[in-house]
Amino acid sequence: MIVIGPILFGLIIGLVIGSRIRTDAKVNIGLTGGSILLLFIVAILMAWQLGNFPYYSDFPVATGFVSAFIGLILGKFLFGRSKENS
Amino acid sequence: MSEGSTVLKLLAFPISIFTICLGVNTILGGHITPGGGFQGGAMIAGGVILSLFVYGYDRIPIDFSHNFVSAVESFGALAYIGLGLVGLIFAGSFLYNIGFDAYNLVPNLVQTIFHYPDVTNAGIIPYLNIVVGLKVMVGLSAIAIAFYQFKSFEEEGDEE
Repeated sequence: MIVIGPILFGLIIGLVIGSRIRTDAKVNIGLTGGSILLLFIVAILMAWQLGNFPYYSDFPVATGFVSAFIGLILGKFLFGRSKENS
Repeated sequence: MSEGSTVLKLLAFPISIFTICLGVNTILGGHITPGGGFQGGAMIAGGVILSLFVYGYDRIPIDFSHNFVSAVESFGALAYIGLGLVGLIFAGSFLYNIGFDAYNLVPNLVQTIFHYPDVTNAGIIPYLNIVVGLKVMVGLSAIAIAFYQFKSFEEEGDEE
């Protein structure tokens, strides 16, 4: 059985924080598609090393960690803005 | 204000992202693992503070504005009090765990609404962790941002 609590709320908290990430020309941290893919692979590896919470046996990875990462990236692309507009 | 080196600027943002994810993971496991709202919120704030010190406030990629900090801080406090008041209204005790309902005091519908969707029957404890985590996250970040800006003002004053 899939435990939706950490998946859902990890995504929501990630979206809230991701909405504040900005990558305009002034910031210039180089957040390209390739770097996001690399970060996602590292996030999956970290989540696999962390393992899931006790009593949760749905996935071998920390679902809260992965959903928070996905929420951060989604929040950045859906709601992220430049500093001038924030 | 002095800023970080090229290596720091290259690595600080990914480390911040992973620190934030780890903080969220700590918040969400607060009812079954060590840690919880305060610890997870402090970890998230740690990620934001790392970005702040490396990139500086003008170039920070995770930009917590005054309105955002104010809104999230208010939401965290009000949600905590609101969860407590729901217990007071339905069970007669402030912060009664209406999602678990050990004494069968609340209607089933209310219990279902406030039941955290996992296998541990934790009730409202994870929600309390989440709202405390959000509040601590913006609170500690705001303190660091304020101190950073005070320092910038001081240095500007010294240069003049």
